[in-house]
Amino acid sequence: MTKYIVRRLLGIIPTLLVIITLSFFIVRVAPGGPFDTEKALPEVVKRNIEAKYHLDEPLVMQYGRYMFDVLRGDLGPSFRYKDWDVNFYIFQSLPNSIILGVIAISIAILFGITSGMLAAVKQNTWVDYLSMALAVVGISVPLFVIGPVLQYIFAMQLQWVPTSGWFTAGDSWKTIILPAITLAFADFATIARLTRSSMLDTLRSDYIRTAKAKGMRTSLIIFKHAMKGSMLPVVSYLGPAFAGIITGSVVVETVFRIPGLGKFFVQSSFNRDYTLIVGVVIVYSVILVFMNFIVDIIYSMLDPRITYK
Amino acid sequence: MSKKTTKQFDNMLEVRDLKTHFLTDAGIVKAVDGISFDLKQGETLGIVGESGCGKSVTNLSIMRLIPSPPGKIVGGEIFFEGQDILKLSESELRHIRGNMISMIFQDPMTSLNPFLKISTQMIETICIHQDISKKAALEKSIDMLNLVGIPDAKSRIHNYPHQFSGGMRQRVMIAMALSCEAKILIADEPTTALDVTIQAQILELIQKLSRQLNTSVIIITHDLGVVAGMCDNVCVMYAGKIVEKAKTEDLYAHPAHPYTFGLIQSVPRLDKAKNGRLFSIEGQPPNVIDLPPCCPFHPRCEKAMDVCRTQYPPTKNLGEHHEVSCWLYTDDQERSNG
Amino acid sequence: MKREQKAKATNEFNQVVMGNSLSKDAWRRLRKNKMAVISVVIVAIYMLLAITAPILPIYSYDEIVNEHQNLLPSLTKTSGELMWDKKLSDLYTQAWRQNRLTVTDAENEILEAWVLKGQATKVWDYLLEEGNRQLAEGSFEWSAAEKRTLDNLEKKIASDIQITIQKVWQTNQETGKKINISKMAVKDLVQLYADLLGVPTEPIVTQYTYEITESVSKEIQAEVTDLSKEEYALMAEQRLSDMSGKDYDKLIKANIIAKINSTVKDMALYELKSDASQASTTYPFDKEMSITDTVSASIKAAKMHDRRYYLGTDRLGRDLMSRIIYGSQVSIAIGLIGTFTSVLIGVILGSLAGYIGGKVDYFIMRVVDIMYGLPYMLLVIIAMAIFGRNILNLFFALAIISWLTISRMVRGQIMSLKNQEFIEAARSMGASTGRIIFKHLVPNSLSVIIVFSTLRIPSFIMTESFLSFLGLGVQAPFASWGSLVGDAVGGMTLYPWRLFFPAIVMTIFLFAMNFLGDGLRDAFDPQSKNQL
Repeated sequence: MTKYIVRRLLGIIPTLLVIITLSFFIVRVAPGGPFDTEKALPEVVKRNIEAKYHLDEPLVMQYGRYMFDVLRGDLGPSFRYKDWDVNFYIFQSLPNSIILGVIAISIAILFGITSGMLAAVKQNTWVDYLSMALAVVGISVPLFVIGPVLQYIFAMQLQWVPTSGWFTAGDSWKTIILPAITLAFADFATIARLTRSSMLDTLRSDYIRTAKAKGMRTSLIIFKHAMKGSMLPVVSYLGPAFAGIITGSVVVETVFRIPGLGKFFVQSSFNRDYTLIVGVVIVYSVILVFMNFIVDIIYSMLDPRITYK
Repeated sequence: MSKKTTKQFDNMLEVRDLKTHFLTDAGIVKAVDGISFDLKQGETLGIVGESGCGKSVTNLSIMRLIPSPPGKIVGGEIFFEGQDILKLSESELRHIRGNMISMIFQDPMTSLNPFLKISTQMIETICIHQDISKKAALEKSIDMLNLVGIPDAKSRIHNYPHQFSGGMRQRVMIAMALSCEAKILIADEPTTALDVTIQAQILELIQKLSRQLNTSVIIITHDLGVVAGMCDNVCVMYAGKIVEKAKTEDLYAHPAHPYTFGLIQSVPRLDKAKNGRLFSIEGQPPNVIDLPPCCPFHPRCEKAMDVCRTQYPPTKNLGEHHEVSCWLYTDDQERSNG
Repeated sequence: MKREQKAKATNEFNQVVMGNSLSKDAWRRLRKNKMAVISVVIVAIYMLLAITAPILPIYSYDEIVNEHQNLLPSLTKTSGELMWDKKLSDLYTQAWRQNRLTVTDAENEILEAWVLKGQATKVWDYLLEEGNRQLAEGSFEWSAAEKRTLDNLEKKIASDIQITIQKVWQTNQETGKKINISKMAVKDLVQLYADLLGVPTEPIVTQYTYEITESVSKEIQAEVTDLSKEEYALMAEQRLSDMSGKDYDKLIKANIIAKINSTVKDMALYELKSDASQASTTYPFDKEMSITDTVSASIKAAKMHDRRYYLGTDRLGRDLMSRIIYGSQVSIAIGLIGTFTSVLIGVILGSLAGYIGGKVDYFIMRVVDIMYGLPYMLLVIIAMAIFGRNILNLFFALAIISWLTISRMVRGQIMSLKNQEFIEAARSMGASTGRIIFKHLVPNSLSVIIVFSTLRIPSFIMTESFLSFLGLGVQAPFASWGSLVGDAVGGMTLYPWRLFFPAIVMTIFLFAMNFLGDGLRDAFDPQSKNQL
């Protein structure tokens, strides 16, 4: 097992290298530099700035320097906002995004599994229909529609929660409700559908019939025999779910004006702030890759048939 | 709960006119259409037929394990020790399942839960029906595994199913089924998924243990060889109905129904292998959806008469416990009435 | 003949025995699925609307009418009436603020509460009704200035004309023959324009030379960045001198014709607005007008404020309905073409990996694995932000990242199929690898591919809309569902319809596509019912 974990951890390295390299070069070969403003800078000034950020060196040198810095955990200075490090921005905004993401994914998993299981067990009853209708909404309606609509109904018309703001900035804790629900919706829907279908599949399997033939009660069969097997597809969906949460947070943070990493990301994309873009992508990738790693480990612990060769 | 009724019944199990139908897109599938048979204490009954004739459905119906929807038991009675299983409540039914009647399924590969250790699965079986501690249940499980011939049972019991071979898994299934000393053991094609060499071992094991524990056994199979070696009585099923019912020796000596005759003929025999072709029954068993009233076997029957095409034959008693449903054994009067 | 015989085949039990093809069977099951059938109808309606958008009787999607900004959706009122109502409620609100329009204390309280909650629309609606009532009763009167404003507006609504020039002709004074100006030579065109303006030709030539150089230079700037102004000018000159005389003439012609059109438009407008004409003209009309002695034009004219906006207008006064329909066109097209491209890439790579196996398989699958690990949405966002936000880039960015899943799926299918007997048979008969893959293996995995593609379309549309929502996708004046929703979010308190209509239209389509996909999956593969 330990060997397996170590091997998987080593497997992460090339992926991360590819990500860093790819985003570094995409950004560098792009037309339009960060210092292209409306008014042209005098040549001397431009050269000075480029020298300061080492933009005058050959691309390979820049790449090597950047890689070295990244390995030390230094994502470099921001191109746009003078005197600030990318690290500073990321550490300032990342906690907000993590809080939002963790709450959202918890909501999605908790409600998704519960309603999926209920739907499967009470197949073809109103419980089933209701939770599947909700799931279809979650799958069909993009979150940038769900977000504003929820905002319009619950914040503007009913005034139950604030329209926007963020609790770390001194606003009410209620500010987190709508963003978290919005962000959770799509993953809730997929998890609910996955849970339902894999639960139904499991309930039809031979070993559940065996358990029934033993005279076990239905609730025991579901929790002891069916649960583990039917959770496997759900666990393997968690990787894409994390990716979805990260992508979704970009929109949700924009809609609800949350000072998180996603909002920064969009801004820096518009600003062509090279180092900030690459920095944010690296942080996101590290999170994503490690989440996938953890999901893999959980999966292999759930399924005894997997061997750690 | 764990106290078993000591009252003796002549028949452990009486199935009367059982009908199990499936509602499908194409129509109503009458998988089991009015069958009756008895099972005595200690008796071994074989149910034989081609695949799709309703053998397995019959036995799932006895346990009320028909997946519903689409399946439904639409009629008949199943008496176990005098009480009608079809009228029991869910909790009364649980008391019978696994405890009074237990089952071994066809495919040992999928019938054990791959996510739980063998020990967990065996202990829970015992603990559901008997009021003993987990430790005692573990002891008993190990004993049972030893009984079915699993080497090194004490340590192997903590393994997962995928760490066992097919034959070993079927042994585990048997151990599990017998661990509560059930009165009836239903074995649904217990050897179909196994190698030939293992088949004989498993069957022997079932036979030995059932004698030892005085368990009544129903064996479902399409293999007449299995029946000949093990069963006291045989029911031959065709298209959801029992076409012939007899003592095993009787059936082999004097097969009455043309279908039974064909079945027996088509068993490859070493002593006849050289002088001639293998016998086979021509054609396919019918699709049991919307079957018209006729003898379902008539298209494949060499002795078919006009009446076979319009009317299902009545059941005739040909002597001691030998019943057959075929127009051949009726007189002209009956045929013209039909 | 043979088919009939087949259909009638029965067995000995009088049961009909009929071989059904997989697709026929699937079609039968699909038709039984009510939701799927409804979805097919809905999708068909959408497609029809999107395709026929240019010939539908709707306003242009990019025509900006400044006075029509943020008009309410209305089935009965014209834009003039809506403008009138808007102005009235503005003035009433002002009057209420100045305590000239008096309401009871209780009403005041409610109104103040609405103001505090930011629900301005409710205040406006209420005051409009109340003001009109009081005006009728005589308990409220307009001030002189207000009256003047309203009169002006009334006049404006009544007189504003919108005209479109369809064709312009020059009449030859000697022969009396009419020539369409688009068929005239450059020299004649310049002369005509000079005559229209009553100026010599030289300044016109200088003007258009400058304008053309400028526009070419702009084109270059869009292609190459990071150059100085002098360099741009140099490149533009180079490009112009490289151009053939014919191409250059084309540029001049386009420039001059646009100018003539706009001049003719101004002159026609002036003509129509003159008092003499105003009384005798009925709108809308579509007729030929003579502009000067030699120039005449075919003109379409309508009262500007007679327009009706059934779904309201957006923040620039563009018709929302038309924008939604054209937006559907863009969104659906991206969904379809994107899916097609990604499925094509995925099927080719997946089947190669699955069939050839070995190193090819290893390589392709490693690439897929690594790309799966990437936060690809973020890369797309970067790519869109950097390489320019046009539809082509969007297609490209989406297509490269979305073939992963389908290639994995096809690979799995092919691997399970390739060892079956019919493939062995084909191979033994000497069929080539390409033939085996595309004639035997791919068609046999077609049902999986179809189902996947159907479910892929909505997710493609969602991704595109997601980017457009962030402002990284489709750029103005084009619209897509995402950009419409994105534009609307800012003003949703005051103008909620701008959010709701595109959102509803988009949601219905995505619903339909998802139901259709589910239905197809159940139809093709009834075993996997309820699977994702």
